[in-house]
Parts: sequence; structure tokens; C-alpha cells
Amino acid sequence: MDWFSYIVAGILVYVAVVVFIGGSIFQIVKWRRSCKTSIKQGIFPKPRGTMRFLKLGWDSLVFPWVIDTDAWMWFFVIGMHIAGIGLFFGHLRLFGDPGFLLSTVGEGTLNNLGGSVGAAIGIFLFVAFMYFLIRRMKYPYKELSVPADYLLLLLVLLLILLGDHLRLTHAFEIDSYRTYMASLVAFRPEYPTAIEFSPDRWVLTFHVFTANLLLLYFPFSKLVHSLGGWATNLMRSE
Amino acid sequence: MVTQTEVQTVRSVLNERTNRQLLYYLDTCTRCAICKDSCHQYVTTKDVLYLPAYRAELLRRIWRRYFTIEGRLIPSNVEAHAPTDRDLDLLYKTMYACTVCRRCMYYCPFSIDTGWFTSLARAMMVALGRGSQILLELADAAIMKGENIDMFRDIIKDGLNDAEHSLKRITGDPEARIPTEKKGADILYVALAGTHTILPMAVIFHEAKADWCLSLFEAANYGYFSGDVSRACKVADRIVDEAKRLGVKRVVLPECGHAYKVLKFLYESWKAEELPFKVLHAVEIMNDYLQQGRINLKPGSYKAPVTYHDPCQVGRNGRFYEEPRNVVKASAADYREMTPNRAKNWCCGGGGGLVAESEFDYIRFKGGEKKLEQIKNTGAEIVVTPCETCRLQLDGLREHYQQQFKISSLMDWAIYAMDLPGKPDGWEPGITLE
Repeated sequence: MDWFSYIVAGILVYVAVVVFIGGSIFQIVKWRRSCKTSIKQGIFPKPRGTMRFLKLGWDSLVFPWVIDTDAWMWFFVIGMHIAGIGLFFGHLRLFGDPGFLLSTVGEGTLNNLGGSVGAAIGIFLFVAFMYFLIRRMKYPYKELSVPADYLLLLLVLLLILLGDHLRLTHAFEIDSYRTYMASLVAFRPEYPTAIEFSPDRWVLTFHVFTANLLLLYFPFSKLVHSLGGWATNLMRSE
Repeated sequence: MVTQTEVQTVRSVLNERTNRQLLYYLDTCTRCAICKDSCHQYVTTKDVLYLPAYRAELLRRIWRRYFTIEGRLIPSNVEAHAPTDRDLDLLYKTMYACTVCRRCMYYCPFSIDTGWFTSLARAMMVALGRGSQILLELADAAIMKGENIDMFRDIIKDGLNDAEHSLKRITGDPEARIPTEKKGADILYVALAGTHTILPMAVIFHEAKADWCLSLFEAANYGYFSGDVSRACKVADRIVDEAKRLGVKRVVLPECGHAYKVLKFLYESWKAEELPFKVLHAVEIMNDYLQQGRINLKPGSYKAPVTYHDPCQVGRNGRFYEEPRNVVKASAADYREMTPNRAKNWCCGGGGGLVAESEFDYIRFKGGEKKLEQIKNTGAEIVVTPCETCRLQLDGLREHYQQQFKISSLMDWAIYAMDLPGKPDGWEPGITLE
């Protein structure tokens, strides 16, 4: 592993994970330690008991009322979140396939499924984030946007593009990724030969690098809406 | 030029007023601006100044400068900066224009409440000596009355004589009275300035045989609109002190949105005390009397098409959707619902103190166009609404846009359908009952 890859796709992975977890905890602690007023200012109707929490889940995950005001935005945001879940599970495969899946579906099917669904997700995410970027550049959105909004979108777009390249060009076999991931888990980061001597190595290095930057920035950016949104939507029923 | 002292004032207001709820809102907004199409002011003007997330963003950019890591280290990345004259001017213009209808909160995917930002900005303006003068003067006048009630007591009681005569005539009961300062009464009814919210409610209380008395104070709270919590408390204190002194069981607020909100949802938190009486809205008590058969409304009394406007502070922010509808529908021959309604209802455009501030007339009338469109689409001849601000605003819209519909309070609407011996000839909802 060259020194640059060793830093940004090796050491930085650990730093990013620590900062992501620590920063998110810091953010939650900051919120919880701040003074809470007893003013209850939700909007009616306010469900009670279990219904309140069911509504919280529905509001936070589906936010159906957005369809009334901005149907395209709702489509891309919902699509992005579903795709994000798909990505998460797709990347989990890099640590190995669960035994029950291997025995029931088979590795070949899993690879084919992962390949086609992964490609579809990658393309959808690129389109979705391009939509977010172009939307933000238009009035009135640009008026309330700040440089951080664009930088974040560009960072994610770069991350997606690099990921799409790796997926769509079949740059590496899954076993190569698994060897790399296993080295990260063992705290001895290194690329296997298939990656080390491939011209696509830099694509992977920068893909991991941008993912690390995203994790590092996450707790200090507006991405904390993924944590804070639960609290604010709960206040809707208070 | 903003002075150092002013910057310090801004910082200290932000520091003191940023509670947990507000902190969540400050950190969670993604500037997606989905809220834009929920705001009647933005929808009718297309001016970003009235876009809810932009209103909040003006404040957040200042807050980030002093209270976030990113704002301190790389302020340009999030446009964090110290307050400028332009910021404060824009904040005044947009935050005092906000009607605090909270429709944007309904449509925000994170349920971010622009009302908190509005309160914070208005508090900041008051601390800087840049608050709305008319709202502060009205609040001070109410506080002055509270502090000198002995001076006003006889004037108020004399002023009730005419209303009491009308009450006797309408009900046909020579013993009918508008009692004041009645110790141990079940209900203390707090009206608005003028007899238009006293006489109809007195008729209803009389017919329902309620044990009630009238407050010496009016319910409107301009201290709340101004953004000054201490003034808002002092205005509300007058009513609370009177209710405690008389030992009433329930305080009924009139057909007014914000007065109910202040006493029902804010006062106990502001004062850190539990009120020894229940707080009710007039629509609640009217519906109760109707359901209990204590007042009877003749079905189909009003033949022409009628619609109901949900005041934001009564419906979305106050919980009463069906209660007022029950009263309206009890006597309407042709009831027509507005679309959208209830929690999604459009604001009339006059809330948040706007009807009292002529400097905001442009946005008040422009923002009201959505409501006007809704009313016109129903084809209704009369709009019933239980909020004084809404009625003033609808009346203004009707004149400004030369419309023909009539506007009625819910209590006038109820009285029209009640079998009373002395109702004035030719009187109908939409005409002040005297």
C-alpha cells in the first residue's frame, strides 16, 4: 500500500469512525444537556401513548405531507433513503455473506443480485443528488443555501461517482474487497495484490477517502438531521 | 452600524433563549425549503424573505457565528457572521411579518417550528430597542390598566350598562345581568375590548344558566405579539390574579386565538406555576352547552351557504377542529368545507399582531389572498370564525379586494339560531349584536 492510500484509506478510516461515533454522541449529549422548557407546542391532533411513537416513525421515515407540497423532492428523498439502506447492506457483504443467505440463495445469485441492484442504486443516487444540486442552485433555494450545502452535495456526488465506477466497471472481484476489509478489521490496512497493482486503485482510494470525509464531517454538519429529526418530530406531538 | 453593545445584546439573547427545543431546530434544518409552499406569504409573493426556512436562516447565521464549532472556525462555509444592520432590518421585516400560524411546521419533514425563531427574533428586537412600537405601546396600555384597576373599575361597570339593557331585551329576562367580580363563580369570562364579545356570550351564559362573571380586563395580549415575555406575563397576570382573587373554577377566553394560547400553553411554563383553575376557549364551552342541551340551535336557521375558517391558534395550535363545526353545522342549511381545512388550513394572513401594525399592510393583504381564494371556492355567503384577529383580517380582505361575503363570530352565529324573544329586527350574523 502506498503511503497516501495507507493514510487516507487506512489510518483515516479509524479516525473517521471514531470521530463519527464520538461526534454523534457529543451532539446528542449537547442537546440533552441543554435547558428544556416545559412549553409544549406541538400541533394538533396530538396522538398519545403508542400511537405517538408510531406516528413518530411514520413522520420521520415517510413524511407523507411533503407529497402535497413538493412531490419530486419527496420522491428523490425517499428514494435516497431507501437506496442508502440498500447501500449499507450491500457494503456489509464486503465483510462476508451470512451463512443462511449462502445456503438458501447461493453465492452466484447473491453476486448477480448485488451487481444489478447495486448498479441501479448507484445510478439512482447519482440522479437524486444531481437533482438536489440543481434544485439548490435555483431560486429560492440558492438564497438560503450556504457553501457547506454545495460542498456536502459535491462530496457525496464524488463519493457516488467513484463508487459507481467501481461497481459498473467491475474494477475488482468481491474477494479483493473482502481481503482489504479484513485487513482494516485486523488493524493492518493493506490492499491485496489485485488492487495494489490495478490502475483502478486510485478510484478505490478516493472512494474510501471521500467516505471518510463524509463520516468526519457528519456530526458537525446538517447531516445531524438524521438524529435531531427524531426529536423534532416527537415535539410535533408534544 | 451595529455597535459592540448591540452585538453583545444579540449574543446574550441568543444564549439565554436557546433552549433544547430551539437547539434541535437550529441544528436539524437542512435548508431543503420544502416549507416554502406551506407559507401563505411566500406563496403569494414569491419573495424569499417570507420563506420560513429563510426567516430562520437569517437568525441561524448569526447564531452559528458564536455558538457552533464550524461557525467559529470556518464561518464563511456556513455564512456565519456578526449581526449587521441589514440583518436586523431584515429580521424585523420578516419576523414581525410572520403570523406564527405554524403551517410550515405541519409541512416540514422535521416539524421545525418557525414560531420559536419568530419569538426569539422578536425578543432580540425588543432587547435591542428595535421592537414593534405599536405592539409594545398596546401592551403597556394593558399593563397600565392592570396596575390602576381602581381608577378604571367604575368606568368599566358604567360601560356595561348598555350591554346589560340589551341582554335583558334580547333574553326577555328583566333580571338578566352581566356580573363582575363575583366571588366563587364557576366561570370568569374574559372578553375583548368592546361589547361585541361581551353581549353575545352573556346571552349564551344566560340561556345556559351558567354561574359566571365578566373579567374587568380584556383578553388580548400584545405583549406576547411584541416578543417581550415579561410584558406578556404582566398582561396575563391581570387575568390570573383576578381569577385567583375571585376563586373561580374556570376561565373562559373569548373568540381569540393568541389569548387562549398564552394562558393555556405558555403562562404556566413562563411563571413556573400551576394555575388553580381550568382554561377554556369559548368554542369549547359553546360546544359543551350545545351537547348538554343547555342551549338549543334551530336546525337550518341559516339558509344561505356558510363556511368555517379554522383560526390557526384555535385549530392547528389549539386543538379545536370539531367543536366549532358542531355549532356551525347545528344551524346551517348549506355548510361548505374549505379545502384544505383543519390542520392544513391556510392562515387568514393577519395573525401574529399584523392586524394592529399598518406598516405590514402590504404583506397582510397579499398573504391573505390564499384565504380569499379558499373562501371564494366554497361559494359561501358567510364565513364563521371564532377568532377576532381572523375576523378583522377577513373584513380587511373583503374591503381591500371588494368582496361580498359576510363574516360572523361563532357566538353571533349561535345566537341567530337560538329562540330568543328580543333579538333586534333584521339582525343576522355578520352584523354586530347590540
